Amino acid sequence: MSNSLELPSYLEKSAAVSERFKKLHRRPVKLKVEDLSKKFETPKGELVALNQINLEIHRREFITVIGPSGCGKTTLIRILAGLDFPTSGKVKLEGKKMEGPGAERGMVFQDYTLFPWLSVKKNVMFGLEIKGLGSQKAEAEAMEWLEIVGLAKFAEAYPGQLSGGMKQRVAIARSLANRPEILFLDEPFGALDAQTRASMQAYLLKIWQNVDVTVLFVTHDLDEAVYLSDRILVLRANPGEIDELIEVPVPRPRDPGQFLTPEFLATKKRLEELIRPPELAQNEEIPMIRLTEVGDEVE
Amino acid sequence: MIKKKAKNKDHWFSIRKELPPARRTLLTACSFFLPLLVWITVSYVPFIWHPDIKLQLSADRVGVTTVFTAGDRMSKDFFPTFVEAVRQENRTTLDAQKKGKPLSGSRRDNIKKLRHLSPVGVANGWLENNQRQDDEKLFEIWKGLAEETLTSKAISLSKENLEIIKDNWRALSKATPTFNSKLYPTEALLKLIPQGVSSNPVYLPAPHEVIAAGWLDFNTQPDNGMPTMWERYRHSLSIIFWGFAYSCLLGIPLAILCGSFDFFSKLHEPFVDFFRYMPAPTFSVLFVAFLGTSDAPKIMLVFVGTFFQLVLVIANTTRLLENSLLEAAQTLGANRRQLLARVILPGILPNLYNDLRILLGWAWTWLVIAELIGEKTGLTGFIDTQGTRYNFDRVFPVIILIGLTGFFTDRLLFWLRNLFFPWTEDARQAPKGPLTRFVLSFRDRTAYFKKSDS
Repeated sequence: MSNSLELPSYLEKSAAVSERFKKLHRRPVKLKVEDLSKKFETPKGELVALNQINLEIHRREFITVIGPSGCGKTTLIRILAGLDFPTSGKVKLEGKKMEGPGAERGMVFQDYTLFPWLSVKKNVMFGLEIKGLGSQKAEAEAMEWLEIVGLAKFAEAYPGQLSGGMKQRVAIARSLANRPEILFLDEPFGALDAQTRASMQAYLLKIWQNVDVTVLFVTHDLDEAVYLSDRILVLRANPGEIDELIEVPVPRPRDPGQFLTPEFLATKKRLEELIRPPELAQNEEIPMIRLTEVGDEVE
Repeated sequence: MIKKKAKNKDHWFSIRKELPPARRTLLTACSFFLPLLVWITVSYVPFIWHPDIKLQLSADRVGVTTVFTAGDRMSKDFFPTFVEAVRQENRTTLDAQKKGKPLSGSRRDNIKKLRHLSPVGVANGWLENNQRQDDEKLFEIWKGLAEETLTSKAISLSKENLEIIKDNWRALSKATPTFNSKLYPTEALLKLIPQGVSSNPVYLPAPHEVIAAGWLDFNTQPDNGMPTMWERYRHSLSIIFWGFAYSCLLGIPLAILCGSFDFFSKLHEPFVDFFRYMPAPTFSVLFVAFLGTSDAPKIMLVFVGTFFQLVLVIANTTRLLENSLLEAAQTLGANRRQLLARVILPGILPNLYNDLRILLGWAWTWLVIAELIGEKTGLTGFIDTQGTRYNFDRVFPVIILIGLTGFFTDRLLFWLRNLFFPWTEDARQAPKGPLTRFVLSFRDRTAYFKKSDS
């Protein structure tokens, strides 16, 4: 890292950004995680997936969880959504202890999880109908949400005919239609190609700007984390613990032009330091292995 | 995709590559045509198999009680021995005549010998089928053939036999120029030499025989109050329907519960798994004992035969539903009942349908056994009766009918699956013929079949 750019510290924030974080911390706490631990029994002994996690997520915050593989980020989001149970500790939503999944905590999964037998519109109506909303009202609301994610003209299509990005937009619309208190996204763009992923990030930012919703986002993509979040929770593996909670110094509104700004790069560099394993020592000279016998000049 | 196909156009044998549609159609046709061709070839080309001789004249030999009537078969190995034995008998008779001490036989024996010619009479239409023992008519046939006023066209009589006919007629006409069985000679007549054509064993009738027998069976009203073939067919179908319907009615809900709740799975599946190893037919006597000899034990057998398999197969299908769909529904607020009704049921439906389609095929196997318990009924009853009488030409049409019924119900259900579940990957990939497109035009989900742009 000798010839890298001179970057400011990721801790330095502009006045506007500092002001924004002050406001954010004054907002009421939406989700509170208290001393959360999760242990798995394996044949090799006990595995501590999560150890003593404490976290406060404020209203209308965009928080991202990042960490090396096996650090328990998926376990964490699943426990928060109520799909898994912690070994100890509590999850409180607006002060109420949560047990089991519920409509107030929406979730978007990596593998889309749209109901293939329902049309796009009916997929979005699913949660509304379960809540007991009349089908006419549910349909009207579903169409509004499809309008927001830009898929109104595919309302009658089946999920099977949509591309991955479109499916994920439907999944987001389906979760938001339920008006959840908090929305969990578990590596939602992990299966998408780079271009679709970039446009999906833009979509998500736009939706988040227009909809009053708190978001907890899990990813392993550093750019994605910095680009989208207010704060980034970095987890460490084995045992899964909080390494650092970074306040992203990049001002909002965000746009792809910010990818090369000093604040962005500084934050990303910090994430790299936290997550990437130490570089492999390269002191041995390994002769090139020739695959053909040709004695050319190629080195 | 299209490029790949074009590239491999010239290869009939490319690993994991689809052939062009025309070739696929051709091969599909061949898959049915080739077995048929084998059957036709074996039946009509004499030197391929034909291990037997099918007798055209009735025959017997002295000292052996078995009488072969025309239509009976004997192996080609044995036939010369049999012919030689009859020739030897004739030589003895002739030797005795030459020595002036003709062998004396009873009139009864002579009448029997004369009756050996009756198949020739029937084959040529000189006798009705029920006149095989009409000695007066036979007398005229012997006369006609000996004096060459009659010629057998249907069965060409060997020279040897024509000589025998003349010899016998000489003896017969000497004794009684006009028919009078009381005046039949008492000295032994000659026996007709067994004559036959090479043929396949009785269990492999030729296609034309099968078609003729089938046509006759399905178009005639059997006497003695037996049901017609179509009534038998309906009866068989009704047993399979009710057996399978009860099986579905009880099995599907139980299976879905087992697949959804570990509680029901652990409570029921171990026993079901054990029970299915006890072959259903072993319970048949029990069923007859407590259900009587009507259709009830038969329906019960089809039920027992399919129920236990069905529960296990569908429970497994239920478990194969992606768990993430259930989790997604839960984060949307679905409770247990809603998960069952709105996620599990619609989610497994296409696979459940497919399972039932396959299980229905098994039900046919159980039907065949079911129809033989208690009172033999239906198509299998007919097969059983005709089989014991060696009427295999009448057995084959019924076997083929069962096969065709199974095959076409299966194809129909397979086709309907894509209409019922247009959202499945299979339905999306399946080629759509004109009929499919016509039916689909009535559905509102037309958007699904248009090309999507992302």
